[in-house]
Amino acid sequence: MTTPLAHTHPGDTVYGQVGDATVPLRFTDLSAEYKVLRERAVALDLGGHTLIEISGPAAVDFAQQVLARDVEYLTSERCMMSLVLDDDGRVVDQVLAFGREDGLLLESSVGAGTRLLEHLRALDIEDVEIVDRSADLTVIGLEGPYAWGVVGRLIDGELASLPFEAVSDTVWNDVEIIFARTGFTGEYGYQMIVPVESAADLWEATLEHVTPSGQEALELAMLEVRQPIPRLETTGDVNVIEIGANWLVDVTKDEFVGKEAVLAAFESRQGRRTVGFSGGDTVPEPGARVLAGGEDIGEVVFAVRSVGLGTTLGLARVEAGLAAAGLELTVEGAGVTTLTSPYIVPKSWSIPII
Amino acid sequence: MTIDELRAKAAERQQTCGQIKKMIVSRLDLEVEPDWITDDQPLFGRGLELDSLDVLELYVAIEAEFGVALYDSDMAVFGSISRLADEVNPRLRVTA
Repeated sequence: MTTPLAHTHPGDTVYGQVGDATVPLRFTDLSAEYKVLRERAVALDLGGHTLIEISGPAAVDFAQQVLARDVEYLTSERCMMSLVLDDDGRVVDQVLAFGREDGLLLESSVGAGTRLLEHLRALDIEDVEIVDRSADLTVIGLEGPYAWGVVGRLIDGELASLPFEAVSDTVWNDVEIIFARTGFTGEYGYQMIVPVESAADLWEATLEHVTPSGQEALELAMLEVRQPIPRLETTGDVNVIEIGANWLVDVTKDEFVGKEAVLAAFESRQGRRTVGFSGGDTVPEPGARVLAGGEDIGEVVFAVRSVGLGTTLGLARVEAGLAAAGLELTVEGAGVTTLTSPYIVPKSWSIPII
Repeated sequence: MTIDELRAKAAERQQTCGQIKKMIVSRLDLEVEPDWITDDQPLFGRGLELDSLDVLELYVAIEAEFGVALYDSDMAVFGSISRLADEVNPRLRVTA
C-alpha cells in the first residue's frame, strides 16, 4: 500500500517498504529533517498507519478483549496508546485507539495494518463489525517543540493546548477531521485524521507552515525517548517484559488477550531486558553480540547513527542483571555505554504552549 | 571491568530504581506492583501518566526518602525512573 499523499511528494522523495506500506523515508536528508523536528516542527505523512473501525453492539467489549489497556470508558474525546497481543503475549501491534460514538477507531503502527486486521478478524466475535478505513481516511501528523504554533495557524489555537491524548472532532476548510494531541517523540505532537479526498489539500496547507519529515527522522526521535518502534523491537521470540513495553499493558484490567502469558513472563523474573546504548564508529546490525567483561550477555536489537548524539545509538537485549544504565560494554569490538532514558531531552519539555 | 564488577554496578542502579518505584507506588497509591514499572518508562504524559500534582507529591517524597531536594530541577529529571535514580544517587550518573 502506498500513502494517499504519495502523489503530492517531490519526485526525489526516498521511499521504503515498511511492512505492508510504502512510506517516505526522507524528503531531503535525515540530519536536516531530524534537526527541524527537534528544534521547530515537521509535518508527517502517516499514511502507512492503517485505520480500522470497530463498531456494532459488542464493539467496546471486543476492544476490551483485544487491547492490553483499559478502553471501557474511552470517550470520543480521548485516545490511548495500547499494545495488541496474541494469546502467547507476543506483540501483534502498538495502536492508537480513538473512542468513537459507535465504537472505536484503531490506528496501526506503520506498515502493520494487514497483520492487525488479520488478528482482529481471526478472533471472530459476533455483533462486531471490523472495517478497514484506509481507502477513505488517512493521517497527517505534526511533531516538534513549536508544533502547537502550526496548529494555531492552520486550524485553531485552542486545539493546540488540548491535554495529551485528547481528541476533538473539528472542521478544517469545510472538511470534518478528527484532531488529536498525541506524540511519538516527546515533543508536542498532533494528528489529523482526514478524508483521503481532502488529504492533499490539508497536507499542502500544512506545508505552508512547516517542512515534511520522513520515517527515518521520526523513528530516530522515537528511539531517543524510548518510544517503542514495534517493527524493529518485536521481531523474534520476545515478550512484552523483555521489550520493556509494560506501560502499554494494564495488568490491573480483568481480562484481555495475552494477559496470562504476560503475567507469567513477569512473575517468572526470567529472560532478558532491553537497555539503550551509545558509542562506536559503526552501526551494528540487529543480532550483533553484546559482551560484558568479555562474556556474551545478549544482542543488539537495532541501532542507528544518532544525529543528536553524534554517535551510534541503539537498543540491546541483555541478561536482566546487566540491563542497567552506566555500564561499559562491547559491541563488535567497540566500547559502548548503556544509557538512561530519554537519551535526548525533548525541547518541548522546557517550552510552554502560549 | 570484569563481569562481576559490572553486575555489581548494575545491581546498585537497579536497587535505587527499585526504591524509587516503591516510593512512587506507595505515595501515589498506584495499583501496580513496583517492579511492573520499568527503569526506562516515561513518567509524564506517556507511560506512568503522572500529572503536575503528582510531581509536587514526588518532590516531597523524594526529599523525605532520599534527602535530595529537586524543587529547582527541570522536568528532564522525571524523564524516567533511571533518570530520577541519577539525581537521588549521584554515584550512578552517566552522560549520554
